[in-house]
Amino acid sequence: MRSILDILIKHNHWFLFLLLEGISIVLVVCFNNYQKATLFTSANSIAGNIYTAMTNVDSYFGLKDENEALINYNNALINEIEALKNRLRKYEDSTSIAVIEQTYHNDGFYYNTAKVVNNSINKINNFITIDKGLSQGVGDQMGVFNHQGVIGVTVTASDNFTVVMPLLNSRSIISCKVKDKALCTLKWDGSDTQRSYLIDLPRYELFESGDTVVTSGFSSMFPAGIPLGQIERLEDSADGQSYRAQVKLFVDFSNIDNVFVVGNNNREEQKLLEESIN
Amino acid sequence: MTSRTIIRARNFVLLALAQVIIFSQIHLFGYATACIFTIFLLKLPRHTTQNEAIIWGFLFGIITDIFCNTPGIHSAAATAMAFSRKYILAAFTHKGLPDDFIPGVKSLKWGGYIVYAAICITMFYAVLFPLELFTVRHITTLLIGTISSTALTMLFAVVVEFFAPNK
Repeated sequence: MRSILDILIKHNHWFLFLLLEGISIVLVVCFNNYQKATLFTSANSIAGNIYTAMTNVDSYFGLKDENEALINYNNALINEIEALKNRLRKYEDSTSIAVIEQTYHNDGFYYNTAKVVNNSINKINNFITIDKGLSQGVGDQMGVFNHQGVIGVTVTASDNFTVVMPLLNSRSIISCKVKDKALCTLKWDGSDTQRSYLIDLPRYELFESGDTVVTSGFSSMFPAGIPLGQIERLEDSADGQSYRAQVKLFVDFSNIDNVFVVGNNNREEQKLLEESIN
Repeated sequence: MTSRTIIRARNFVLLALAQVIIFSQIHLFGYATACIFTIFLLKLPRHTTQNEAIIWGFLFGIITDIFCNTPGIHSAAATAMAFSRKYILAAFTHKGLPDDFIPGVKSLKWGGYIVYAAICITMFYAVLFPLELFTVRHITTLLIGTISSTALTMLFAVVVEFFAPNK
């Protein structure tokens, strides 16, 4: 008995090794359940604040390009407002404002701006950290996009920071549609940071390279119509039942600075309703 | 002993900061990422207790994990490397060496130190990449990542030997 104890004490580093290795493996496995890993990711406040300080220095170098992009985006928005005003004018003559309000009802989406403080593109599972969190009304399961297009979906949030799963993550699946055509799913294969793949495209529909892919609006995370990319090449899927399309993404993931986070007031209601059927 | 612990703690903080702020952000050719804190583990004196080495490894790993959004991956790899370091080092120890030597060019000569470092660092990445990819589908990515990252980290290990061979 004594000698067994002696051996155990002599080799206590084995137990320490197994304990720490065990903790690490548990963390790796919990990583699949990303929502619970706030403490061990850059969503925690210390890591987040260090990244914010780094980004503050870093962002000065890209101010010129960023300004140009924002001016262009502003321009596009002004044009859109003008177009909408024109449309509104037509209605003013014939119908009451109440009808218009009914037609263009509030679809429940609200927007927040945020700044990217950490970003990776070289892994199979990339993540982005932004500087807004629960205190600013940003939570998990919200859409993130910028002036170029869709970036991804938030997965975990602390008080002041949120981690986003971008399109460049092998676990990211975004419900989208080819403009004016069929619904489909966008999934990244882990190789090219500028290209992703549409899977399950129906064979009865005619797709062409150059077709624009936009959000479908069915996922409750994004409003419909936010651009994702453009079809480059069409090929048969592995089982030959459907098409698979290579998509050139609009967003340059190596250079993201300011983003919009979109929340949905009606999400809980929609979710409850959909779950009540099952 | 105390001054040694303080120096080690200072080195730990500096290396951890350099790792998360600079080295984890650099991805050469999209594959190679240097983990320079492995050099700290390589250069722990021979008689460092296994418990101490394992704890250093785990701490380095978990800090890198927190900043890189890779919970558990670096800590698992660094713990495994810190644990196996003593057994690998034993193969390069010969009688002419002082009792508690620091592994390096001065004690092991270039050949010995490079092979020792290469085995330890390969061991580190051989745990890291499979855990990160978590699939066997990307076997080429895994091999390229392991080999290129080992080579890059080795380069830094050699540079450190050139500038501070005695520390």
